[in-house]
Amino acid sequence: MASSIPASAPADLVVAATVARPRERQRTARLAAGGGVFVLVLALVAVAAPWLAPQDPERTSLRVRLVAPTLEAADGRAHALGTDHLGRDVLSRLVYGARVSLIVGFAAVVVGGLVGSALGVVAGFRRGWLDTVVMTLADAQLAFPFILLAIGIIAVLGPSFPTLILVIGLSGWVSYARVLRAQVLGLRTREFVDAVQALGGSAVRVVLRHIVPNVLSSLIVIATLELARAIVLEATLSFLGLGIQPPTPSWGGMIYEGREYLDSAWWISTWPGLVLMATSLVVSRTGDWLRDLLDPTLRGE
Amino acid sequence: MRDVALYAGRRVLRAGVALWLVSTVVFVVMRLSGDPVPLLLPPDAPRSEIFRVRAELGLDRPLPVQYVTFLGNVARGDFGRSIHFKTPAMTVVLDYLPATIELGLTAFVVAVLVAVPIGVVSAAHRNSPLDHAAMAVALVGQSAPTFFLGILFILLVSLKAGLLPTGGRGDWHYLVLPALTLSVFAMAYVARLTRSAVLEILRTDYVRTARAKGLSETLVVAKHTLKNAAVPIVTITGLQFGALLGGAVVTETVFAWPGMGRLAIQSIYNRDYPVVQCVVFISAALFVVINFAVDMLYGVLDPRIRAR
Amino acid sequence: MTGMTRRELITGAAAAAGAVAVLPGPARAQTTQKRELIVAQGGDIAFFDPHMSTSSNDIRVSFNLYDNLTSRHPDGKLYPGLATEWKLTAPTTWTFKLRPGVKFHNGDPFSSSDVKASIERTYDPAAKTRVSTVFSTIERIEAPDPGTVVFHTKKPDPLLPARLAFYGGQIVPEKYLKSVGPDTFNQKPVGTGPIRFVSWTKDDKAVLEANPDYWGGRIDVDRLVMRAIPETAPRVASLLKGEVDAITQLAPDHGDRVNANPTTRMIGALYAGLYVLAVNSNVKPLDNPLVKQALSLGIDREIIVKELWRGRGIVPNSMIAKGDNHFDASLPPLKYDPREARERLKKAGYKGEEIVIETTVGYTANDKAMSEAIQAMWRDVGVNAKVEQLEYSVRAQKLRDKSFKGLWWSDPTSTLSDPDGMFWRLLGPGGPQDYWRHARFDQLGDAARFSVDEKFRAQAYKEMTQIFLEHFPWVPVIQPYEDYGIQRYVEWTPNPNQQFEIRRFNFRFRRA
Repeated sequence: MASSIPASAPADLVVAATVARPRERQRTARLAAGGGVFVLVLALVAVAAPWLAPQDPERTSLRVRLVAPTLEAADGRAHALGTDHLGRDVLSRLVYGARVSLIVGFAAVVVGGLVGSALGVVAGFRRGWLDTVVMTLADAQLAFPFILLAIGIIAVLGPSFPTLILVIGLSGWVSYARVLRAQVLGLRTREFVDAVQALGGSAVRVVLRHIVPNVLSSLIVIATLELARAIVLEATLSFLGLGIQPPTPSWGGMIYEGREYLDSAWWISTWPGLVLMATSLVVSRTGDWLRDLLDPTLRGE
Repeated sequence: MRDVALYAGRRVLRAGVALWLVSTVVFVVMRLSGDPVPLLLPPDAPRSEIFRVRAELGLDRPLPVQYVTFLGNVARGDFGRSIHFKTPAMTVVLDYLPATIELGLTAFVVAVLVAVPIGVVSAAHRNSPLDHAAMAVALVGQSAPTFFLGILFILLVSLKAGLLPTGGRGDWHYLVLPALTLSVFAMAYVARLTRSAVLEILRTDYVRTARAKGLSETLVVAKHTLKNAAVPIVTITGLQFGALLGGAVVTETVFAWPGMGRLAIQSIYNRDYPVVQCVVFISAALFVVINFAVDMLYGVLDPRIRAR
Repeated sequence: MTGMTRRELITGAAAAAGAVAVLPGPARAQTTQKRELIVAQGGDIAFFDPHMSTSSNDIRVSFNLYDNLTSRHPDGKLYPGLATEWKLTAPTTWTFKLRPGVKFHNGDPFSSSDVKASIERTYDPAAKTRVSTVFSTIERIEAPDPGTVVFHTKKPDPLLPARLAFYGGQIVPEKYLKSVGPDTFNQKPVGTGPIRFVSWTKDDKAVLEANPDYWGGRIDVDRLVMRAIPETAPRVASLLKGEVDAITQLAPDHGDRVNANPTTRMIGALYAGLYVLAVNSNVKPLDNPLVKQALSLGIDREIIVKELWRGRGIVPNSMIAKGDNHFDASLPPLKYDPREARERLKKAGYKGEEIVIETTVGYTANDKAMSEAIQAMWRDVGVNAKVEQLEYSVRAQKLRDKSFKGLWWSDPTSTLSDPDGMFWRLLGPGGPQDYWRHARFDQLGDAARFSVDEKFRAQAYKEMTQIFLEHFPWVPVIQPYEDYGIQRYVEWTPNPNQQFEIRRFNFRFRRA
């Protein structure tokens, strides 16, 4: 769940920007940079998983089932975060789980961004009934708990990587649409359109050359917040058994598997949960800081 | 009075449109896999059953006709027969609805009762250690995944401390952890928002005047700001109630709370699609109704909004 | 025993809900004043109709809701049930004398026509029961007077009384069933047993109450509540917290905790049957015996028993369970040989086709964990193995329309302590697991069923074992101890065949 305020909130609830002063700006910028580094590190971990993970995350070894975090277990190896009910190394699964979270997260953000931006641009350009439809859809989706629709769709299509990315992506198109639409509306003055047409520019050109650069910073803010939300949504769906299927490691799936052993082998659920919480916290805060820096007006979004 | 009526009328229209949209989405989703009949009947259903359902849904007719038939069924509350329970899907969902309402309402009340005072106090003591601490906790609460919070609560409160049950529904003991888990996100959100709203109002001249008159800080806050902040706070919290019902899906699953959300998940495992359809729709209807009520409340409270 | 004051303390401490007093010291006797027995099992009841299901969640109730003509007690012997005596009155004729004065829960009197209708129903193709092959030895049934039933068998069948003690032998009321039809009968069952139906909330619990006029004496409690808690952790937690009196499918991982807890303990019996991966041999590549042999060779059963089951089980050597007639102790346990497994796969021309294990979670103890472990073992020998999770209701559906994608967990019970009532009942032609046929296998099975010559039967089963080990219509995995968790005030002996017997001779609460 993103920290965005629903559309029907009154405009005068916009909180005054508190980062006008340069020293605070500097501090916020540093924090945002720190958050960015975190995401980068996570991405690196995900990419370098095969080299970073001490063991094969899917390697079961019944001899070392449910082993507490230790430096040397019965199989002679270190299991810094313990093993699960099939003897698989939790740390390795955690590292590979980052892959899943980030791939799905980034892909979903891209899908949502493309769809949302396209719809926003079209709504802004064409106006009329198309605009109304898009905006009504947006309103409806904001208030509705998307997870129910998600599970309905996954129920019919079956859980798989593409379905997951599609569903999570579609859950977040609204923010992009509204920003793009606002931009397009702002540029849609008669003179501007005439000028572009006179110069022989096509609609796509207009979008790419004039609209995108202006919204880039807003898009970055939205994308960051959406990334946090997507990662948590993927973990939630995997926890419910509707996301990434075992034995592929995913943080949500690991939390689910560890449920049965909460009081005997707490480490199976706890590590992935803490990592998930930390990731969600850092990424969404980074989005907040970026917003404060780049585009405080988004606070009303 | 007339503008209230107009406002209400517009809102009713919006609600109707939203419901229609959800029905359409459900219709589309059910046909994503092609033929919806295998989803709606048990595999060993006799041919007579299959024929009956095909006729009922108008599956041999063109798509637009099917769509209209579907909408008609939805209006009647007919979502077919639950494959698992062998009773009408709507009956099953309505059976499980009260448990979800109980959970959602409790979580909502808890969230508001805790969040608003914290938000007000934080705003009144801006930048104090209390403020920082409260907002930090709120931040964590807002970004923590609900299902993991539930697991943590079970681990620490139920298993390690043995204070409360690990799941299920019974007397009030069983309600505590699920309601608490579900309320965390809303609580954090509302607390932060309340703080912002109160801060905003504290800045106004009206309040400055009151302060200049020498009234105590708390009195100033209590009397003047709460009245003005009430409107936006009510709106936001009202909308959060809607979101709560969504979060209930996960919370109910973690705590084996026998509500609609858990029913939806179980029905997916059971391949009982009539029930899944019905839950999605009923949830949507619930949201629409709540949003409508909140909008109306807001419209009544703040005349400026009615112009929108 | 304990002193007077302590006893007063105990009875005083028992709260209205029947709480258990915790005494210092590990294995002291616990007592209770409870009048209600609450049992949590790993899945909901699907059928109260005893002929429509042999799943353990259902038979725990159906064997108490109904009576059989004969009854097998924990000592392994057959005792009178609804029949008071039985005699072989001719080579192919059994005559049973029925117990007089027995009434069904709805007041209808029990008589021989109910027996005739019940048993005939099991193999009536129109009724589509799951126990259709249990009584395939019967040729016809006569009810010459209300107190006598005569069974004519196709060929001499010495095992008939034993067959009547188990699945399919539960006697249902003829008149009531005919008047309400099978669907309503399943919703509102009526039998002669020590408990009668009160209510059923799907996926939650079933409530039954004591039958005050039960011929075998009223049971020790007023009510039986069967709850469904599919996930292991909450089920164990409910026992440890005293919310239930007994739980089933206690996985060994949690056994230590249950034993260490002062108020509860683990109790089990070596299962009279096997846990196997049943094979849908109609699905490629499982139609190839070499592939199935490889699958069997690829499972390290020793380590599954040792680690997943904490030693509470034995490795099977064939499809015959230890404790049954004709169990061949000279056969070695099923072998683990990954290298040989690869060889066989190569010989079979296995091209990496997907092999799917469809598993429930918690219906059979350790089912998911074993599936995942076996998947990893098979992957190690080059099998493209996949595990898919099924809800119990979906499994029941697939059993009915035989639509499994590959392998699934089955826990065939040895109902007669004889191979005829175990693998032959299930794998024989027309049986519930009829996915594979073999002419010689079928011939031997049929002959062994009707032979009274134990030497001949031994020889037949030996040969059938060899055929089995070549074709593996099942991949046996373990013969486990089936463990239950109970409160220490429960005095009850587990049946090796999952019946959860609560009649007076087997169950009572320890009272102060």
